[in-house]
Amino acid sequence: MADLDETARKLTLKLVYYGPAMSGKTTNLMRLHDLLSPDLKGEIMTLETQNDRTLFFDLLPLGFRTPSDWLIKLKLYTVPGQVAHDATRKAVLSRADGLVFVADSQRSQGINNAESFQNLEENVRRVGLDFGTLPLVVQFNKRDLPNVLTEEEIRQRWFAAPWPLVMASALSGMGVRETFVKLLEALYPVLDKNFSLSKVHGTDAQSFINAVIGINAVTGAPLGNSH
Amino acid sequence: MEIRTKRYDSALSLLELLSGVVPDKLSVALTILLGAPARVVSADGAWVMGNIPPLSGNVRRLPLAHDLETVGFLETSAPDEAQVRAAAVILELFMRSGARYFMASEMHLEVVKTDYEELQRRHEALIASEARYKALAESLEERVKEQVSTIASAHRQLYQAEKMASVGQLAAGVAHEINNPIGFIRSNLGTASSYVQKFRSVAEQVKSGDTVRIASAWQVADLDFILEDFPSLLQESIDGADRVARIVSDLKGFSNIDQAEEEIVDLNDSIRSACNVAANQINSRADLKLMLGELPPLRCHAGHLSQVFLNLLLNAAHAMNKRGEICIQSGVENNQIVIRISDTGSGISPEVLPHIFDPFFTTREVGSGTGLGLTVSRDILTAHGGTIEVSSELNVGTVFTIQLPIKQGNP
Ligand SMILES: Nc1nc2c(ncn2[C@@H]2O[C@H](COP(=O)(O)OP(=O)(O)O)[C@@H](O)[C@H]2O)c(=O)[nH]1
Ligand SMILES: [Mg+2]
Repeated sequence: MADLDETARKLTLKLVYYGPAMSGKTTNLMRLHDLLSPDLKGEIMTLETQNDRTLFFDLLPLGFRTPSDWLIKLKLYTVPGQVAHDATRKAVLSRADGLVFVADSQRSQGINNAESFQNLEENVRRVGLDFGTLPLVVQFNKRDLPNVLTEEEIRQRWFAAPWPLVMASALSGMGVRETFVKLLEALYPVLDKNFSLSKVHGTDAQSFINAVIGINAVTGAPLGNSH
Repeated sequence: MEIRTKRYDSALSLLELLSGVVPDKLSVALTILLGAPARVVSADGAWVMGNIPPLSGNVRRLPLAHDLETVGFLETSAPDEAQVRAAAVILELFMRSGARYFMASEMHLEVVKTDYEELQRRHEALIASEARYKALAESLEERVKEQVSTIASAHRQLYQAEKMASVGQLAAGVAHEINNPIGFIRSNLGTASSYVQKFRSVAEQVKSGDTVRIASAWQVADLDFILEDFPSLLQESIDGADRVARIVSDLKGFSNIDQAEEEIVDLNDSIRSACNVAANQINSRADLKLMLGELPPLRCHAGHLSQVFLNLLLNAAHAMNKRGEICIQSGVENNQIVIRISDTGSGISPEVLPHIFDPFFTTREVGSGTGLGLTVSRDILTAHGGTIEVSSELNVGTVFTIQLPIKQGNP
């Protein structure tokens, strides 16, 4: 769960991009780094091997200050998708506050997606989180490729699932911010309940989202894809 | 609680971020690059790199940021702003590389730990399941042993029962065989004692010396007839006693069933004994034809083989719907003793035929036999290195063929 530091007046949140190997998790983080402009934005730290597969994780820190002058930090992690790195995935997943599941839309990737999603569900339970209440957004990435499932097929298959579905093409950035915003929307109620963001910190849902993605709350520029 | 307080995603202090560099060397290098004294202090001022004392004069303070927060300051009296900024950037790069190293190593430790725990868990599970299997295997062995001994004792009991059954059959046949001569011997002896009575009455007159009374007594006692009848009566009784003796000697062949010692016998004698013992049951149903060829003496458990012959003979007798013929042939073929017992009985149906040597298989009504007769017979022949085969045709008859390797006395 979120890490609350009363003395430093700091709330640190952990958001994890999960999914099969090569589905575009790292690409999502890279695009977010480009697309978002919160008060505070760190560099992406990538712990990768030479062949550019994620070894442990990628990390992108974002942050802003609330009207109550608290620092809210969001640490975005990716997990290594390779089956062998399950222990790493579990470690990254532990204490997560929200999840994005990045699926690969290509028809050939159906089994990988399914196995990874099942692995996510198992690991969420293993690290002591509640899969039923954990904020989660499902992203179907690589929409630009041929031989992908149609959006209709995907929506049909995921019809009964309670999570928001976002179509994306992380390479171009399409759907990347929307995915993230959907996650923030799901995350806010939990944070508000636990930390009284609205009452104590003067941060309602819209200003929370605006602050994280970097839209001026005063000018109220509309949300949506930048493309 | 956890012993390691830091995790890969914990916030890091300036000290931790710079733990990879040698403080004195970095301080000296900074001083040279900036052309003025410089020092690095943590955000709360508690830690100073290289323990350099506070600088005096016009000191500039640049924040050193990590993970969106200021974790320390670069303090220097160097005047060139761009130079100082560059120095701060270099320091932040060091810090970043320190963070990378820290996170990677902590993550590595965490992964190794979970992998190790998982390994231990599996190891324990493996040991537990091994123990379970071991216990199971041990109790299995025990249970199998128990079962085997139960089966073995049941088997023994059935063998015993079968033996008793054939002994019972034997006893019935033998009783009949013996009863007959005993009956007429007894009756002859009664007659003989009345004859003796008559001799005594004549003998009394002989003592008187009166020839007339002697002749009259002779007439009355009809000694002429008695003298004629008595020898044949005795001869008949002697024959009867001989017959009983022979039956008893035949029986001896069956009495040593449990004898472990082998003996050297002519199997034709064993066959004849079996025929004699079974004579009563055979004679009422079939004519017996013996075609016994010359056999070499065989070293064997004769009592056991006699039992086989008796068994087959009784089976043949039982197979007769109407009066028929039982034929026993013996001889040597291909250096083997071959004995064929054929009957003109009802035959065995093709469905039943493959099972007749199976234990507990019987077509007779329940209670009349355990169905071990043929099984035991085959076991006995197998123990002698021999075989038994059967061929049969419904309503025509059955032939059992026994083959035994020739084995003479020990050299
Ligand atoms: N065509 C296409 N390729 C993508 C897209 N997103 C990621 N990729 C490519 O897929 C590969 C794996 O992406 P990466 O982000 O490293 O995957 P990760 O293993 O999930 O971190 C890279 O070659 C990306 O360029 C996309 O939307 N469309
Ligand atoms: Mg990656």
